[in-house]
Amino acid sequence: MANWKVPFVNYPLQYSLIKSELDEAYYRIMQQGDLIFRKDLIDFENNIAKRVNQKHGISMDSCTNAMFLSLYALGIGKGDEVITVDHTYIATIDVIVRCGATPVLIDVCDDFNMNPNLIDSAITKKTKAIIPVHLNGRSCDMDSIKTIADKYELLIIEDVAQSLGAFYKGKPVGSYGISSCYSLYPAKILGSYGDGGIACVNDDDLAMKLYLLRDHGERPSYLKTEYEKKMKDNIIEMYGFNTLLDNIQCAWLNVKLKYFDGWLKRRREIASIYNGRLSNCESLKLPPAPSNGDYYDIYQNYVIRSNRRDELVEYLGDNGIEVLIKWRTPNYKQKALKNLHKFKLPKTDEISNEVISLPMYPELTNEQIEYTCDVVCKFYKERGI
Amino acid sequence: MNWKVPIYGYKIQSKLYGEGILKEIKRVMDGGDYILRKDVEDFENNFAKLIGSKYAVGVNSCTDALRLSFRLIHLQKDDEVIVPAHTFLASLDAIVDAGGKPVLIDVGKDHNLDTSKIEKAITNKTVAILPVHLNGRCCNMDKVMELAEKYKLYVIEDAAQALCATYKGKCAGTWGSTGSFSFFPAKLLGTIGDGGMVVTDNESYYNKLKAMRDYGRVKGEEQVVLYGQNSRLDNVHAAILNYKLPFVEGWIARRREIAEMYAKAFKGLPIKTLPSSLEASDYYDVFQNYPIMVERRDKLVEFLEHKKIEILIHWKTPFTKQKELRLGKFKAPMAEKIASEVLSLPMYPELTDEQVTYVCDSIRGFFK
Repeated sequence: MANWKVPFVNYPLQYSLIKSELDEAYYRIMQQGDLIFRKDLIDFENNIAKRVNQKHGISMDSCTNAMFLSLYALGIGKGDEVITVDHTYIATIDVIVRCGATPVLIDVCDDFNMNPNLIDSAITKKTKAIIPVHLNGRSCDMDSIKTIADKYELLIIEDVAQSLGAFYKGKPVGSYGISSCYSLYPAKILGSYGDGGIACVNDDDLAMKLYLLRDHGERPSYLKTEYEKKMKDNIIEMYGFNTLLDNIQCAWLNVKLKYFDGWLKRRREIASIYNGRLSNCESLKLPPAPSNGDYYDIYQNYVIRSNRRDELVEYLGDNGIEVLIKWRTPNYKQKALKNLHKFKLPKTDEISNEVISLPMYPELTNEQIEYTCDVVCKFYKERGI
Repeated sequence: MNWKVPIYGYKIQSKLYGEGILKEIKRVMDGGDYILRKDVEDFENNFAKLIGSKYAVGVNSCTDALRLSFRLIHLQKDDEVIVPAHTFLASLDAIVDAGGKPVLIDVGKDHNLDTSKIEKAITNKTVAILPVHLNGRCCNMDKVMELAEKYKLYVIEDAAQALCATYKGKCAGTWGSTGSFSFFPAKLLGTIGDGGMVVTDNESYYNKLKAMRDYGRVKGEEQVVLYGQNSRLDNVHAAILNYKLPFVEGWIARRREIAEMYAKAFKGLPIKTLPSSLEASDYYDVFQNYPIMVERRDKLVEFLEHKKIEILIHWKTPFTKQKELRLGKFKAPMAEKIASEVLSLPMYPELTDEQVTYVCDSIRGFFK
């Protein structure tokens, strides 16, 4: 690993801060042999469901599988169309294709999220659902999306992979869809030590289907009666999958949850410093500053836009600052994904030429943030732009 | 319940290997190496070498190993796959997920595919055979491969329960187009959560599997070659499995020893056991499980639980009688007989001789 002054992520640093609590959880789990589907998993699901104000949390081995099984359980398949954005991680599109449905991609706004004005013209007789993606820790304009969905009787499945903890008009992000899916990938604010995800739903029937699909169509033992358990029978209620989240990851995530609110606060603080300092660079486009209004953003990523992106990235690298570009190639321009080539998405094109993700995690020191801002400002000053 | 002989060895294994595993976890966490890092690659190489296959691809479960295998061979809607009527449901799930139709055939006395019944089940829609090497015993692969060749069928092996089991000296999982393995905690080589592996000798399958498990990506973040999924083996699991790998040989030896103790103790009783491990034969069995068949099964289970011996039944309702699976048209009398008589005794290397003897004595006591 290169020796960055400001690395893009710093997992070991966070680990070192909570190490002893994680070890404690490990010993407890191992001594009891609680490896698959035990109490830690159920506790974790309840913790998340409560936080996002939903009745059921169904943990999964990835957000991708939470999304896929939600679509699958809702019967979305061959011949159906699902509207989503191109400017998202490919997983959002993968799950639509995996169901046998057709992805219909629309453009985004300057805040990187779905442009609700474009939904109407994308709707056909075949449209079954909309997947709004709440990117970078900011909610989509859900009132507008909901209005259209209701008008055409479309399902909303929310891709909240990047926005656990964010709010929209006082409600936790994920409150509008029939299913809302969150990611626990290591780089996420609440990240596990491998892949993970969770679907949150209010509907009891959908929840039961997800429980069944997750574990080979068999009812989890805590949803069985004592008699059923005693009988040791294996009644299979449907063909399913194996998408269980490891119990030990849930135990570790429960430890991390204690720190979660503090981490969100710190991210908003960092965003505030970035916004304050970088607003001096006039040609740089910044994300909305932290606000307590309709959009309560939690800055999973801090993404700026520069019309001299590649030069700036190189300059930052030369000065020891590690950044990412998400994403340089829009999904619909991936050569192998031929069925997507027909879309026209000018805003997505523009964004993919301009985006840079700056380092953003609670353990960044103020010195590192100031230094990053100094370097960006110096870049613009040197070039007189 | 405080079992004298628990069905799984998790607690005792934690005493023996817990510190070693934690050391691996700490190393992974100190390095921040969580997703598809060097441990996965190392483990894949070590695993391939262990069973004698060219390539191995770590995935998040054996179910996904099978699922990806069927997607790999482009199973089409209504394509038929021949599969034993007595196995874990994952084998069927994988066929159905890819759009195929399971065609059940009955199993033999060793609980594996009755290969004499395969040919009659082949139709012009048959695309593949899915032999399941159950309980640590390889299927009769000569017969399976001969028919596969004759009818140009794929062979997708389910070796979830048969790590290092061999038939005529060749490992389960290395015969077909792909072989799938499980690292579920109760497995001979288990991690502390879910995990799996696909092996293959075919380079283009290998490359495709690597892309399929990781969102269709190949080199770096930006290039996508196909619509993929997330089926990655966690790097931390790979590290733990690498640590455990050198123990496998000894664990198998001990399992075979225990199997022998069981078999010997049950001689003369109305109990059907798996074939003995000591008989000279084409099969080298690793005894992932030790199922026995008894006519008064439920009474015996109750009796053993009363003696604080934990028992599993795999599985009480056969596929042919699972309404929701819609497989009622298949005839599988042996699978149905197994379902009504089978029970699994504790079987793991950490069982003490005293525990095994206690189980044996208790069962003898029941028949007295």
